[in-house]
Amino acid sequence: MASNQFVVASPPTDAISALKFSPSLDSTRIVVSSWDKNVYLYDLRDENGAVGEGKLLQKFEHRAPVLDVCFGATEDEIYTAGLDWDVRKIDVASSTQTVLSTHEAGVRSVVYSKDHNLVISASWDCTLHVHLTNDPATLPAVIPLPSKPFSMSLTATKLVVAMASRALHIYDLKALALLTAQSEGTAPGSLNKVEVEPWQRRESSLKFMTRCVACMPDDAGYASSSIEGRVAVEWFDPSAESQARKYAFKCHRQTADDVDIVYPVNTLAFHPVHGTFASGGGDGVVALWDGMAKRRIRQYQKLPSSVAAVDFSANGKYLAIAISPGFEDGKEDVAEGTVKIFVRELGETEAKGKGAK
Amino acid sequence: MGKKRRGPTLEEVLGRPWCYYCERDFDDLKILISHQKAKHFKCERCGRRLNTAGGLSVHMSQVHKEQLTAVDNALPNRSSLDVEIFGMEGVPEDIIQAHNQRVATQFQQAEAERQAVTGNPPPGTSATGGQPAKKPKLESVSDLKKRLAEHKAKMAEARAGGSSGEATPVGAGQTPTIGGYAATSTAPPPATTPSQFSYPQPYGAAAAAASPFQQPPQQTASPVYPTFSPGGQANAQYAAPPTTFSPQPFSTGVPGQPPYGATPPTYPTQQSPPQTHTPPQLGGAFPPRPVGLPAAPGLPQRPAVGAPQVNAYQMQQMHMGHTVPPTTGMNGADKASGAAAESTGFSGSVDDLISGAAKQAEAATATPPTTTTTTAGKPAEGEDQKPKKDKSKARLVYSDNETSPEEKMARLSRYAYVPDQRGETVLEELPSAVVVGAIRESDTVVDATD
Repeated sequence: MASNQFVVASPPTDAISALKFSPSLDSTRIVVSSWDKNVYLYDLRDENGAVGEGKLLQKFEHRAPVLDVCFGATEDEIYTAGLDWDVRKIDVASSTQTVLSTHEAGVRSVVYSKDHNLVISASWDCTLHVHLTNDPATLPAVIPLPSKPFSMSLTATKLVVAMASRALHIYDLKALALLTAQSEGTAPGSLNKVEVEPWQRRESSLKFMTRCVACMPDDAGYASSSIEGRVAVEWFDPSAESQARKYAFKCHRQTADDVDIVYPVNTLAFHPVHGTFASGGGDGVVALWDGMAKRRIRQYQKLPSSVAAVDFSANGKYLAIAISPGFEDGKEDVAEGTVKIFVRELGETEAKGKGAK
Repeated sequence: MGKKRRGPTLEEVLGRPWCYYCERDFDDLKILISHQKAKHFKCERCGRRLNTAGGLSVHMSQVHKEQLTAVDNALPNRSSLDVEIFGMEGVPEDIIQAHNQRVATQFQQAEAERQAVTGNPPPGTSATGGQPAKKPKLESVSDLKKRLAEHKAKMAEARAGGSSGEATPVGAGQTPTIGGYAATSTAPPPATTPSQFSYPQPYGAAAAAASPFQQPPQQTASPVYPTFSPGGQANAQYAAPPTTFSPQPFSTGVPGQPPYGATPPTYPTQQSPPQTHTPPQLGGAFPPRPVGLPAAPGLPQRPAVGAPQVNAYQMQQMHMGHTVPPTTGMNGADKASGAAAESTGFSGSVDDLISGAAKQAEAATATPPTTTTTTAGKPAEGEDQKPKKDKSKARLVYSDNETSPEEKMARLSRYAYVPDQRGETVLEELPSAVVVGAIRESDTVVDATD
């Protein structure tokens, strides 16, 4: 156990908001955003190429806590979303930050679409900003949302935005890219507002606030999780057969004295190869699930604090787990607690589904 | 006595629970409910039985992701999901009426056919009990008196014959007799002491309140002073009252025992003769089912009346069960009336017995309905409660369904961000609901800098 799991050196000093692996296939770089206003870039390999506790490559300071981060087209390109309302692009090589757009409230999440060269940010001001990265001169398209967005995830063709009031929009990325390109030309300075009808509007299958959405790597569907220890798996295909396949299950719960303590499921991540997914909960547990066979593959030992983020490496060989004290009921303040990043080297079949029943 | 009842009455038929979906009727509600679960509320996918169509619909949509459109095995016009049916609950009034109408016509048809075939009179009139059973009911007071007199004459003869065989343990012999009297002769006591007590009182007062003098005479009287029977003739009118209390309580009534034991010494010599009479009395005095009769206050009138408030079915039962009591009642009453009233020894016990009997009767009638209702109600309640329990037991670690943890954290002062380069105008535009914390913080910062 201990041999294939290690703790990343020099973790952030405050709660972690997001953690992402590099999209480059055999890279072991991780970017981490934190409430301590910094974005951290780690490489798990040391100088000799051995994967271990890794080292902190760079630290990018922001004006406010950073709520989300993602890699761009290459490892040298990082996008961040922060409480300072800005969406930023960081050029790693030069350590320069560029503000892509500014929202009217904190920016909750940011995603990058390689296939359409889009950076999409979602803010609590109930808008999406869509940026064309290959044409930085264009103004971002501003897409109004019905509610505050809480989580975002995309596939090659779709963007899923999970919002408050259990709303969920699925956008077609191609349409978004096209609209953003077309809407170009409006006077600079004014907001480039675009009313766009989502490809699908859905209501969450979960009764409670959506915590996280994650799309399947095969572009077939997505999983969503709620604050009430539950994960739903759904498919994009609107046909009745596909919709009939959707399901939800309980997880991240503990029974103590006949009381079921229900933890929020903070994070979800799909395995890029096997199509299974990991969930991380407020209970400090990470579990691997086979969404197709509707089975749990394994559950890892409880970690000392709430799991804030999980991600698989692009080649599926590593699983990174960020833990930080959660913001839970009755706690008006986030306790000073353990903020750590664990990286697990997965065995060949560790995250592989066992096949259908 | 009466003939066996031929078939169910209309009331019974109408009272049968029936299924809204297929109009089938059942012996009782439980069977109906299990029928509905099996035939109409069963999930065709997994075989799970739900309690209602709504439940099945929710089950289908949640578990199998299918939409239930119609109730299985239902009549074409009854397959709607809109009506929430559980057993007989939820059936629309108009449909109930239509059903009753249909059942009633069917019943009448069947009845008519049967009458045509058998030539029997319809039930409820006299069919089941038959005319003979009905007759005594309608006996006029004068007839009753006549018969009483005849009977007394017979008794006197018998006594003259003088088989004083059982002079043995009085207590043992008495218990049954008392039972017989208690059952039949409760009314008469006032007759013996008419000046003292008005009629309704003993009954209205019920056992507990009744004064010791009221009952004792009747009880002790018959065994003790059989010779006074002639005197009882005056009371013949009271004789008819049928039994209000079941005999069982008396035989089992424990409280009654000590008084009995006490009485024998009081009338040692007199007791032997009455013993002979006990057997005949017993035979008549124990009505099989006394409970069905109306309460005591109506007693004095009963013999002459056709008991108007009783429906046909009850009437039948009474006929079958109680054809005799009126006549035997006369015996008891007659003796009771004849009895000299002194012995107070029984009073307490009789009171106890009567109240006990009343209570038992109450309990007997009261319990079955309650149990049935509770059992009928339980399954629904139980299943409702289960999910609730689960919910109440679950505790959400993070239960704010409106504000995400990140937003809460963002409001903490240490994370607050002041958009410095934006200036006041932007601050005013701030959607306050979203970044309240930030605004507050900005104020303090301004203060600090000032």
